[in-house]
Amino acid sequence: MTTPGLILKEVLHRKLNFLLGLAGIVAATGLFVFLFTAGEASRLETTRLMQIMGLNLRVLPRGTDMDRFWAAGYSDETMPEEYVAKLASHAGLDYAHLLPTLKRRIEWRGTEIFLVGVAPEVSPVDRRQPSMSFAVEKGSIYAGHEIVRRSQLVQGSSVEVLGKTFTVARCLPESGTDQDITIFAQLRDAQALLGMEGKLNEIQALNCVCFDAKVDSLDMLREQLASVLPEAKVIQIRPVAQAREKQRQMVEDSLAVVAPFLLVVCAGWIGLLAMINVRERRTEIGVLRALGYGSGKIAALFLGKAVLGGILGALVGFGAGTAAALLCGPGVFKVTGSLMAPLYGLLGLSLVAAPVFAALCALIPAAIAATQDPAVTLREE
Amino acid sequence: MIQLTDVSKVFRTRRGDVAALDGVTLHVGRGEFVVVRGPSGSGKTTLLLAIGGMLRPTRGLVVLDGRDIRALSEPERARWRADNIGFVFQMFHLIPYLTLLENVLLAAGGKDRRSEAEALVERFGLADRRHHKPAELSAGEKQRAAIARALLNGPKVILADEPTGNLDPQNAAGILECLAGFHEEGGTVILATHGEGADRHASRIVLLNRGRLEEAAGTERQNG
Repeated sequence: MTTPGLILKEVLHRKLNFLLGLAGIVAATGLFVFLFTAGEASRLETTRLMQIMGLNLRVLPRGTDMDRFWAAGYSDETMPEEYVAKLASHAGLDYAHLLPTLKRRIEWRGTEIFLVGVAPEVSPVDRRQPSMSFAVEKGSIYAGHEIVRRSQLVQGSSVEVLGKTFTVARCLPESGTDQDITIFAQLRDAQALLGMEGKLNEIQALNCVCFDAKVDSLDMLREQLASVLPEAKVIQIRPVAQAREKQRQMVEDSLAVVAPFLLVVCAGWIGLLAMINVRERRTEIGVLRALGYGSGKIAALFLGKAVLGGILGALVGFGAGTAAALLCGPGVFKVTGSLMAPLYGLLGLSLVAAPVFAALCALIPAAIAATQDPAVTLREE
Repeated sequence: MIQLTDVSKVFRTRRGDVAALDGVTLHVGRGEFVVVRGPSGSGKTTLLLAIGGMLRPTRGLVVLDGRDIRALSEPERARWRADNIGFVFQMFHLIPYLTLLENVLLAAGGKDRRSEAEALVERFGLADRRHHKPAELSAGEKQRAAIARALLNGPKVILADEPTGNLDPQNAAGILECLAGFHEEGGTVILATHGEGADRHASRIVLLNRGRLEEAAGTERQNG
């Protein structure tokens, strides 16, 4: 009889012990797979929420007076439009969207409003994403809610801005921000109206630089961009970054608490069952020793059984964890849940980790079996 | 072949130390059929386990084929045991999840001895039961299977511990015949028992009482 043959026959004979151990491995593997798969959905959800919350990075002309910037709502200084392309192609910056704008306060129909020129968003070539702002057609404008209300504008009507006639392409709903007193035009139109061709005064970005309390990512980013955009400075909207970080941290914290607890419980369970198995087989171990089986072969019987359980547990656990995540995900993550997919990389990881984990759990019982004094058992018999 | 010199074995229990063997000196030559007779608890099993290299004596020397077992490592003793010793137990100790034939093959330790196992099963009249599990066998069949298992590797010595203790007289006689057959082929048998049924096969009888060999002289006889 070969060792694998003996293991298989014993497993089939003591099905309950094996199935209970297998259940422990399936539970551990399944929960990890579930958490990682759901974690991926959570990451997508974070990205989506970020898009809802707004941009978290603002690139401004270097000479911007920040007091004036915050009071006026825009920078008086400008920077070259080609900074967008430079920023987009800079390898050190991981971003999702870049939105170049030129914003100025203008006099319109006897009141002060904002004129904002917006260019089409720039996204990384390999990560085309849905636009999170709007693209205004040339010769058209989008009118803020207060402007629409006060001037009785309707969609499709014509309106004159700084001596040039535009079509009202859209009347924006109330936002509760300065957007309500803003006219949005295409960047080229706004630059022409303001006599500032080729100029911007802000690039807004949804970046992927994580806010980390230990490392000031903004400082790092500023350092990086200083060499690429010498005439620009970067500010970060921290509450938004923090909100994003908080959500990410929440998932990681849950894993950090659940994972060790789960590992300890499952390890205890598998170890206990292996120990019961060793006790049940004391006479068998004694007989095998009498037949000339050495400690290594005896230990291999128990470790081999644990590895077999680990492999089966990894397969079943991956299936169960993935199925649970795919079933529960859409209920938790309303939008991104539907984007969840099996993470097949986890199957490979499970097939390595679960057998090693199971073998480690069975290590002490296997060592006890291997060092058990057969004379004691056989004398008792 | 087997030389025990002043061998003692003390087991530590909650109720104190128990001397299972106390200064035993015994020589067993090649081809002997030695019956170790003694009441329950006299140390017969411990003596067989010591001879089989399954336990290290607390004191004394066990020399097997000229080699002191204390000098052998655990793997060396296991290998020596597999090649030279066949154990037969009172409780048969067949593995419950293996068939009769698989139980016999268990002694091969992974080597291909299927034809030898089949031949032994045939020789002991168990051919039609070879695919049965131990639970489906009679006590006599189990013990014959256990002897077949002990013989598979062609051992020089059979250590039989009360092999007829759980058998009816007819089956017991059959088992003793099997062991006698092995002895007639030149094998050495050391059989521990508390009864006298095996005496007629014995070339020598030794008495063991409370771990001491009380009587060895005067019982030597010529087999047959």
